[in-house]
Amino acid sequence: MTTTRTTLLAALLSATAMTSAAYAADPIKIGVVTPLSGTYAGIGQQVKWGLELATKEVNAKGGIMGRPIELIYEDEEANPAVAVQKAEKLFEVSKVDFLTGTVNSGSTLAVGQVAERAKKLIATTVSFADSITGDKCSPNVFRVNAKAGQQSTALAAWLAKEKPKAKVFFLGPDYLMGRSTVAAFKEAAEKVGSVSLGEVFAPLGSKDYSQYFGQIRAAQPQVLYTSVAGNDTVRLFAQMEEFGLLKNLTLLGASGTVTSQNIGAIGKAANGFTTGVGYSTEINNPANKAFVAAFKAATKADPDLYGTDSYGLIYAYKAAVEKAKSTDTDKVRDAFRGLTWSTPQGDKTIRAGDHQAMQTMYVVQVTDGNFKITSSVSGPDAIGPDTCTRF
Amino acid sequence: MVDALTRSMRASHVLVAILVSVSLVIAAVGVAFDDTFYLRLATEALIFAGLALSVDILLGYTGLLSLGQALYFGLGAYLSALVLMVVPSFWAAIGATALASALAGLIGGFIVNRVRGVYFALITFGMAQVAAKIVYNTRALGASDGLIGVPVIDINLGIVTVSSASPAGFFLLVLAMIVILYAFAAYLLDTPFGRLLIALRANEARIPFLGYRTMTPRLAAYVLAAMIAGLSGALYPMLRGFVSPELMFFETSGNAVITVVTGGAGILVGALYGSALLTLLKSVIGSYTVHHLIVIGVLFMGAVIFLPKGMMGSIRPAIERMLARREPK
Amino acid sequence: MSEAAQYFQFVLAPQMLIGLVLGVAVILVALGLTIIFGLLDVINMSHGEFYALGAFVALALSTIGLPFWLLLLLVPLIMLPVGYIVERGLIQRVFHSGDRHVRTLLLTFGLGLVMEDAFRLVFGPNPHRPETPIAGGVEALGIFLPSYRLFLIIVGTAIIAAVAFVVYRTRLGAMVRAAAFDRDMAASLGVPVQHVYAGAFAFGVALAGLAGVLLAPIYSVFPTMGRDFILMAFTVVIVGGMGSITGVVVAGLLLTQIQAIVSLYISPVWSDPIVFGIMVVMLMVRPQGLFGRLGHG
Repeated sequence: MTTTRTTLLAALLSATAMTSAAYAADPIKIGVVTPLSGTYAGIGQQVKWGLELATKEVNAKGGIMGRPIELIYEDEEANPAVAVQKAEKLFEVSKVDFLTGTVNSGSTLAVGQVAERAKKLIATTVSFADSITGDKCSPNVFRVNAKAGQQSTALAAWLAKEKPKAKVFFLGPDYLMGRSTVAAFKEAAEKVGSVSLGEVFAPLGSKDYSQYFGQIRAAQPQVLYTSVAGNDTVRLFAQMEEFGLLKNLTLLGASGTVTSQNIGAIGKAANGFTTGVGYSTEINNPANKAFVAAFKAATKADPDLYGTDSYGLIYAYKAAVEKAKSTDTDKVRDAFRGLTWSTPQGDKTIRAGDHQAMQTMYVVQVTDGNFKITSSVSGPDAIGPDTCTRF
Repeated sequence: MVDALTRSMRASHVLVAILVSVSLVIAAVGVAFDDTFYLRLATEALIFAGLALSVDILLGYTGLLSLGQALYFGLGAYLSALVLMVVPSFWAAIGATALASALAGLIGGFIVNRVRGVYFALITFGMAQVAAKIVYNTRALGASDGLIGVPVIDINLGIVTVSSASPAGFFLLVLAMIVILYAFAAYLLDTPFGRLLIALRANEARIPFLGYRTMTPRLAAYVLAAMIAGLSGALYPMLRGFVSPELMFFETSGNAVITVVTGGAGILVGALYGSALLTLLKSVIGSYTVHHLIVIGVLFMGAVIFLPKGMMGSIRPAIERMLARREPK
Repeated sequence: MSEAAQYFQFVLAPQMLIGLVLGVAVILVALGLTIIFGLLDVINMSHGEFYALGAFVALALSTIGLPFWLLLLLVPLIMLPVGYIVERGLIQRVFHSGDRHVRTLLLTFGLGLVMEDAFRLVFGPNPHRPETPIAGGVEALGIFLPSYRLFLIIVGTAIIAAVAFVVYRTRLGAMVRAAAFDRDMAASLGVPVQHVYAGAFAFGVALAGLAGVLLAPIYSVFPTMGRDFILMAFTVVIVGGMGSITGVVVAGLLLTQIQAIVSLYISPVWSDPIVFGIMVVMLMVRPQGLFGRLGHG
């Protein structure tokens, strides 16, 4: 019986092979496992917009090696347990060649493991936990966005120049990412001469931050660094404004603290907020101007770092597949390593040693709802040492 | 001699037998088509059926709604993951989980069984929330990222060895495991112990007059439920290779409640059918709309209003009548 | 001035004052919850979503130019018929079954799921924030408080007092309490029990909506905001004694003060587990809570 099945399978396979030879325009399938509902739905929306725009452009110009790109979406509900199930569906049923879209680092790590077992490649365009291309790196996972370390290096360099020996207070959400982001910036800032006055960690999703304002006021900091994100930022900034805490205080934060999802809700309280980030709509180059215009035309919204990094990923995958002349996992992995491609953010290069993209980092300051670039740090200076030991 | 309650339980057995037969057919078809995804999805449905089963023991037999059963499911999942990462042995993981979940159930049971009704629901809810928060913040447990890298294991069953990565093999193993848990629960609930629980539910004030204690059977049911939830949870990292704090969140507990109520409470088998239905539904709806919560929420509300006995609870009486006709007079 | 006095003025007093604002906010949310439980014997798991609904309705109406002050009046009035319809159309369908507690809890849990997803469908996933209606702040004895928070304390207290007055001192309230105490007796005395039930549910829901409007400027508006208060509100209701208005006020103030102090001296992270621990201990030693139930109070 086994023999009959194998023969049948072989016949089927050769039939498929013939069809794909006959129609060279078989689509290249890219799976997108991203939160379209739940806490991170706003980020998932940007990811979707970015990927769709790039796919439309690439397909209009003949696709990848003559094959159009097809995006297949699955909602991961910002839950790693759902993400792995959906990733497996895309790999096993939809037979996608490549996968992207995961947002929270838990999902990226778990889906990375699914990819390893399925012998496929994935890339994240959002997760910024250092561990993904650090101690928990995987030969099957790439990251095209900037990690937390790159962001804090850029921001610390700016701080050293603008406010030498600044007195800094830290406020973060009390969970792994919140604490490690604060720790990374604290280390980078102390290295360039800042003085740390104290830190407080509020539960994730806190309603009221005003109960910590007494501590902050008493410490009399010049700078407040925060790693809160999303709705939490809206509340924190609004309440700081309410309590008159924003006067004479420079607000710094992680790249996810203020984004296009929440800047509208924060309003003028976001003015002056400064962060280290891989993207701003204000980047002055023709590629970015064309990208921003196309993005706005398609979505009636500004692209943010998530949308742009996702947009750039399609071009990275295109470049890698064309270099490998195949969608085979091992060949594409080799092609990705050391790959340099151009994006609206300028050229990016994937470091072979840990699969982390290297790019120019920007320090941006919110001014009347726009992210103005105040300085930048070159890619090699920002990326930091390669700590991945698995490959 | 067969009384009504035993006959009802037998009707549940018939429904389980049908489910097992269908599962075997699915496994055969899956192997024939060389499928991975659907078999593993079905395995996951069975694992969550185990969690729902534990909710049903409480809801259906003691009338107490647990909104925090994910606490024990998560405990089992994390413990199993930790054990497997040190000793890749199925039996070590299962043994450790059985012990730990029994102990945790005993401690939790002492706290929650002081109260009844809505208070029980709220206290289980709160307890699971606090436990989930602690796990979410504990670095040694991977905190918010969870733990990845749970190895694929070979499970030695004496006669055969099954790999946890084999879609059909592991599916059958989990099926066997869940059926055993079901049979164990069904057996216990059909003994005088089970009758006592039903009596407790009907009229608690009378029980002491009959010479029984009310705390002990309630606590025993709670520990049984905790163990079933824990053991189901222990299977999760074997299937998916990781655990994350989301497994302990309210969404997981809430889903188990939705599963039981839709499938039918108080009949044990409802949990199994409910989980199959819900998993299928989520997988299908999820591909068409991101607003699957609206669809599932409306279906659930419909079940609460129009099908108070749930899907299987509405079907089972027919099987009971059939069984009654066959009994020798 | 002595050091202790200074410490009180600059650290402890502001912390307690902020705790008071939070207390008023929690009481506003929990008030509706306790009325619905006290009268209908229904645990409204979708209460948080009704709080969110109030905020979203206000958000939608403010985009067509209605001022905040009008919304404070308008939103509860809009919520009343919504609550009435939910009670008559949904709750009543399972109200008379044997295990009312469980089935109404499940039904409202399902309703909460649907509402939360519906907010996302209509308003999108991203947060919104209405402008604070009163800017600036007041400073007395070196303690700073934003004007809007002061306004919140005053208005919140007025609302709580008005609710207590209606329930305990008016003919309407007497009917409500009679219906809660003995449904059949009340009905035979001519109390329109059906309408009283639906009305009380609507009233509770309208209170949640009003809390949504009031708190939106400081807590912002987004689809999952309903989950924020739910554990705390339930704890307050349980500790205070289900159905007791006095209980909600006392427990609300007490628990938020404990939270404020804990986050100052131990760690913010422990404030939730400690409050929950109090609820557990309360349930174990005094399950009826600090005060009795509505009908019996």
